[in-house]
Amino acid sequence: MEGIAIAMLGVALAVGLAGSGSAIGIGIVGQSACGLVSEDPDKFGQTLLLQALPGTQGIYGLLAGFLIMQDIGIVGAELVDLTAEQGYAFLMAALPIAIAGFSSGIYQGRVLASSINLIAKRPEEMGKGIVYAVMVETYAVFALLATILMLFGIDV
Amino acid sequence: MLIDNTIYGYAVARVKAMETRLLDQGHFERMVNSSDSGEALKILSETGYSAALAELDDVYNFEAVLGEELSYTFNTVLKISPIPEMIASLVLRYDIHNLKVLFKAKFLGIKSDLLIPVGSIELSKLEHAVNEDNYLFLPGKLRQAANNINDDFMLNRDPQIIDLLLDQVLYEQLIDSAREYESEFLEGLFTRQIDLNNLKTLLRIKRMGLNRDFLARVLLPNGSIALNKLTAMIEEPEESLISMLALSDYADLVNEGVREWTEKGSASLLEKLSDNFITAYLRESKWVPFGIEPLVGYLWAKEIEIKNIRIVLVGKINKLPAESIRERMRDVYI
Repeated sequence: MEGIAIAMLGVALAVGLAGSGSAIGIGIVGQSACGLVSEDPDKFGQTLLLQALPGTQGIYGLLAGFLIMQDIGIVGAELVDLTAEQGYAFLMAALPIAIAGFSSGIYQGRVLASSINLIAKRPEEMGKGIVYAVMVETYAVFALLATILMLFGIDV
Repeated sequence: MLIDNTIYGYAVARVKAMETRLLDQGHFERMVNSSDSGEALKILSETGYSAALAELDDVYNFEAVLGEELSYTFNTVLKISPIPEMIASLVLRYDIHNLKVLFKAKFLGIKSDLLIPVGSIELSKLEHAVNEDNYLFLPGKLRQAANNINDDFMLNRDPQIIDLLLDQVLYEQLIDSAREYESEFLEGLFTRQIDLNNLKTLLRIKRMGLNRDFLARVLLPNGSIALNKLTAMIEEPEESLISMLALSDYADLVNEGVREWTEKGSASLLEKLSDNFITAYLRESKWVPFGIEPLVGYLWAKEIEIKNIRIVLVGKINKLPAESIRERMRDVYI
């Protein structure tokens, strides 16, 4: 039965760290967005879209967390009886999105803050600002993919 | 000091938005080509200056509008900066400028309208201090310098001492604060300004025919050009100054500016090239997303904009040809 606690640590890390990355990233973009909007309120819509982008890491983390919770029966009928080895497997599977979600959320936020400066001068170039941020996103997606593949490989 | 530089996000984005309202080359071109000063003002009032210009009754009073604008700009940047103390060190330049004006007005017995309403110390307080010889409320080094100026002038009656002592205090303070905040960018800016200042001092003193000892006293320390190299130049022809700096960043500036100064006896090209040199330095870090760089850049851009407006309006009032106005104008930052 001890495997459950270890697997739940995995859930906590995936949701918590990836969520923190998103929160920090969104916070950074939000500061820049406020600076721009205080001078040019018409750009609120554009800045809101940019600010939302680092939110995806948190969603990926939550998704990974849900998958684990489903596998181990926290969401559903009853808890699955896990060995310690199985518990560690879930923990390891959670790590890619936990780590990459945290760092990519922050760095995506920094890129987007620069994109805010970009649209302050050239609002028509917002698309390019988004493309730069999506480059960072790629690595959160890879991490999520690795997490999901690892989860599929665990026998319970 | 290690700080999370994302605290600059708000201020930088706001300054970037404000930058879009700076006058561009097109505005200036139209002003230069306008028929007279009235029309130039009309073009200016289509821009961010409209509100201030609406209250202007006479073209000759445009300085008040420019001073107002500069003061507003500094106050705004001070307000939005996460570390206002760093910006405040830039405001010191205006305290020093105002002190110089007030001292000269007092010692030479003239009334001056060159005061600029920017600075950490209120103008009325500063005026009162100089008139009453009471400098107690001035910050440390400034107070000492003010007292020294007063004593020295009573003794030697030489107004040059005013610029000299005050510039030394100014740049000492600037370099100190750049080091205190560990800002390589600010230190680089001040070092360049010191170098340019020293070059101009050297040339000026040379033309006045003063000796090496005097030069050594007035040169500012902390520049990137060694002081003994500069003092050695006083007995040399201008050509050797040009060749000494041929491999430095100042090569073009010295080459063109000094030649013009020797040939035509006018320092205005050197002054202009110096301003352009600083603009180019600040432009290098224009796109830093988090940091003080864009804030300092914006303040400088505004100072240059105001300088350019002054050049155009004065040129128009004096009916100078468009070509000679254009040739005095500084590069714009944007």
